Amino acid sequence: MSLALDALLALALVLLALQVVTGRSLFRGIVMFVVFGVVMALVWARLGAPDLALAEAAIGAGMTGALLMLGYRRLAQHGPLRIRRRPSPGSRLAAPLGVLSMVLVAGLGASALQLPTGAGAAGRGVLQAMPELPIGNPVTAVLLVFRGYDTLLELVVLLVAMLGMRAVQGEAGPPRLRASVDARLPLVGALLSVVVPLAVLVSGYLLYAGGHAPGGAFQGAAVLAAAGVLLVLTGRLRGQAEPGWPERFGAVVGVVVFSVLGLVQHATGAGLLVMPGAWAIYLVETAMLVSIAVTLVLLFAASAGLRVGSR
Amino acid sequence: MSVVQIVASVLLCAGSAFYLAGTIGLIRFPDAHSRLHALTKADNLGLGLVCAGLALLAGSFRVAGALFVIWLLGLLAATVSCHLIARAALGRSIRPKRRPVESRATDHAGSPALTSRGDDAAGLRGGGGS
Repeated sequence: MSLALDALLALALVLLALQVVTGRSLFRGIVMFVVFGVVMALVWARLGAPDLALAEAAIGAGMTGALLMLGYRRLAQHGPLRIRRRPSPGSRLAAPLGVLSMVLVAGLGASALQLPTGAGAAGRGVLQAMPELPIGNPVTAVLLVFRGYDTLLELVVLLVAMLGMRAVQGEAGPPRLRASVDARLPLVGALLSVVVPLAVLVSGYLLYAGGHAPGGAFQGAAVLAAAGVLLVLTGRLRGQAEPGWPERFGAVVGVVVFSVLGLVQHATGAGLLVMPGAWAIYLVETAMLVSIAVTLVLLFAASAGLRVGSR
Repeated sequence: MSVVQIVASVLLCAGSAFYLAGTIGLIRFPDAHSRLHALTKADNLGLGLVCAGLALLAGSFRVAGALFVIWLLGLLAATVSCHLIARAALGRSIRPKRRPVESRATDHAGSPALTSRGDDAAGLRGGGGS
């Protein structure tokens, strides 16, 4: 029974991936990409990786889908004719690229089967070291204790992505899209007044839970950013060219807190990026949550700053 | 199998049936408004039944409470998004179709166009045989 379910999920994943790249229209491709993300989250959950399932559902399907939809709206606004046709030069390369990807996936899978699983494997090392650590979730331990350098650089990548967006779009930013939904509609106001506080609560819980159970800064930030996206879509928050201090602070606080703490530990002789205790891990995670959420909302609003929208 | 498990299975099956009905409605109904009607009504009840079945199986008030909140959030999201999609459809002057599907189907079956096509086909076959 469970084998049938797994086979169904794997088949659905392959068919959805095909639909994403061969769909008749761009819009259909985007919708299929979001569905692909949801099924992928189910697959991660079946594989016993709830952290990845949460991240895939929130970031892979939710935030990326919202960004792709926004890109589609801008394309449709600027050239309605261009999005109808599929680009021909790319599609000629599609078949060879697909075959190459298949070979790559098969090779990676074959080499993954030959990875050491004995005492020398990194995963076992982490699990053996867990009792000495102040937190109980091995995934958070890998992200902040064993591979803190990678996580810090991921934050830098997000920051660079936002700066890159600023560099491409210039000072004034792109022409503003009108709010898709009027926040004055009674149902929309009711939805916002329930969902936004709940999203803040859930993201705080995910951050706290990350210490001992699936969760953490990335998942919490994606939930918080989803609330921000709702506020942008309904016009309660609007983009503006000049960022205020909260946006500037929010965008860099993760990188600053993480690197200052790591450098202080280096200066006192404990080692670069070594976490001195559970409080440091929660501090860094909180700063990361704020940074990731603010950066994602700014990317969605396609602007450097945000202001409260006027009625 | 205990009584609780049997009741939970019945609830889960009933929920799945509602999801199936809603999905068939989404695919088969003629216009945006009736599709929304099929999807939101059937799926809201389906989600509620599935959540009730899972809560019975979980056997803890904490999980049951979480499932109840999930159902409420699903109701809220489905209601508001249905309202917005229907508004957007009306804004693009997509009106609900007046006549139900069945009456159209019987109209077509009795229409002269269809019978004449049948006659043509019979004539062709007759020509080939002679």
